[in-house]
Amino acid sequence: MGNNDPFIPYLATVQSVVDLTPDVKLFTVELNDVAVRESFTYRPGQFAFISVFGMGEVPFGITSVAHRNEGLQFAVRRVGTVTNALHELGEGATVGVRGPFGNSFPLEDYEGKNIFIIGGGIGMAPLRPVINTILDRRDSYGELLIINGARTPQDLVFAPEFDIWSQSPRTTLELTVDRGDENWTGRVALVPDVVRDVKPLPENTVAITCGPPIMIRFTLEALKELGFADRQIITTLESNMKCGLGKCARCNVGDKYICKDGPVFDFEQISQLFEMP
Amino acid sequence: MTQVISKSDLMVWLGRLSESHTLIAPVNDAEITLFRRVSNVEDIALDFTNTTLSAKEWFFPPTETLFSVERKDGQVELVPAEKMEESVIFGVRPCDALGIALLDRPFLNEPADAIYRRHRDKTILIGLSCREAHPECFCTSMGTAPDDPSNVDVLLTEVADGYIVQAVTEKGKAILPQDLLKESDVTPPSPPSLSTVSVEGIEDAMLRNFDSIYWERLADRCLHCNLCAYVCPACYCFDVRDYNDKGKIQRVRSWESCQSPGFTTIAGGYDRRAGKGPHLRQRFSHKLLYFPREFGSAACTGCGRCVKVCPVNIDIREVIADVQNLGGKSGQ
Repeated sequence: MGNNDPFIPYLATVQSVVDLTPDVKLFTVELNDVAVRESFTYRPGQFAFISVFGMGEVPFGITSVAHRNEGLQFAVRRVGTVTNALHELGEGATVGVRGPFGNSFPLEDYEGKNIFIIGGGIGMAPLRPVINTILDRRDSYGELLIINGARTPQDLVFAPEFDIWSQSPRTTLELTVDRGDENWTGRVALVPDVVRDVKPLPENTVAITCGPPIMIRFTLEALKELGFADRQIITTLESNMKCGLGKCARCNVGDKYICKDGPVFDFEQISQLFEMP
Repeated sequence: MTQVISKSDLMVWLGRLSESHTLIAPVNDAEITLFRRVSNVEDIALDFTNTTLSAKEWFFPPTETLFSVERKDGQVELVPAEKMEESVIFGVRPCDALGIALLDRPFLNEPADAIYRRHRDKTILIGLSCREAHPECFCTSMGTAPDDPSNVDVLLTEVADGYIVQAVTEKGKAILPQDLLKESDVTPPSPPSLSTVSVEGIEDAMLRNFDSIYWERLADRCLHCNLCAYVCPACYCFDVRDYNDKGKIQRVRSWESCQSPGFTTIAGGYDRRAGKGPHLRQRFSHKLLYFPREFGSAACTGCGRCVKVCPVNIDIREVIADVQNLGGKSGQ
């Protein structure tokens, strides 16, 4: 980053903060240095560290898409020290950005295929740039099916975009919650059960999932029942990490590093790791 | 012919070096011997078998500032860590010199760790061959030896009336005190004999026994005290945190261990490596399987410190032997 020291973040300014759910906010930040801003690019699935100076630094999947030039966006759920501090920040606040790090979803390889997105809770954050990239290049892909689950209707993270997604050509959006409320008329079911109910065909399809570990585990079972092979199921792994450079040894899973070799893996690759990620 | 420096001239040389460089050398402190800044060469300990901690802390300190955060006219400014001094470290044993060479692999692997690189570039290593060994020493099994010059700039080997001086690198050659060296036909003493363990095929054995109950049984007595990692010259797991002392903000890196409970716990509390068995297996897997796969050799120098300090007698030499004798399925 700055000064050829990979630990020194770029300075950035918070452009906007939008409440997405009671505990998730969408932050749009702009890198302060014009030259850095113009050369900073990233792909769906990559992540970056955000610093709140004095509180610390944590990694987040980048939830914007670079080609839309809408700014660098992160959807942040309030769960720990740094995310709590981030939630206190408003427009104009200074943060640090280190990144982008990691591999990405190989969307070029999926051209011509049907795409099946399965996201739970804040796990939708790294999937949003996949969806938006496909929608922006809609003719290059087959059917797009999105299953998005959350604990309650208020916890569905990207609700303001649901109309755009569901009204796009050859696109289906299935929403589900664990507990409904008086206004909810949609599904009340666990994500893996919705997968079983919707029954997407595995032929020429790639399934991409991200969510809580327990959801991923049972979604994987459901997909396998439907005939999906390990290679057709892609996820992005979450890990505690301190550097993003393959040095701090926090994110190593077997002889791989989530920060360098991932975070995107298919389940064939995951089954070959020595440890369960 | 070899070049020799007398014991009194060694002190003259180190005295000169302490004027041109920061001199770091073994110093006896209560019951232990540590590498410390030395301004008076008479403080240097020469009677140690090995230092209590290796010289790792001078390249990868227990805690160090990565940068400071300052505010000028309302603008945030990140100030990189201070520049290091030109240093000479005297008295590094060959095992610990190997430890530094092992740390180089992750830290200098691109993108290189800028602070570690500065520490390395600004430091000259004067090694000291071992005349005696601890019962826990097994360096010859790990690819080095009590008289191995490979990973230092100058190697000194004690003989009856002084030290044989061997310049290993150009950096080392440049600091030799030509006026204090004498030609001699003295032959180096034979190195001490050490305990040994065969590491032949250890990677495959680790792989075959990854899911063995052995790890759970071994870990049953582990106290998660992290001493093994603390004294290890090749352990390099680290933590990064911000310190805010009344508005003076610093981002600090510190030693961490894969044995710490919560090392792999993510926000929300999920721990993919829960339990003592998987934690302890990680220590040995990283040293004997993952590091060799990534960097070509084991992340162990055979210094024996972890064997010496472990309060429950977990002995890496026994682990290496045990794993090879376990009958796990053939690996991936």
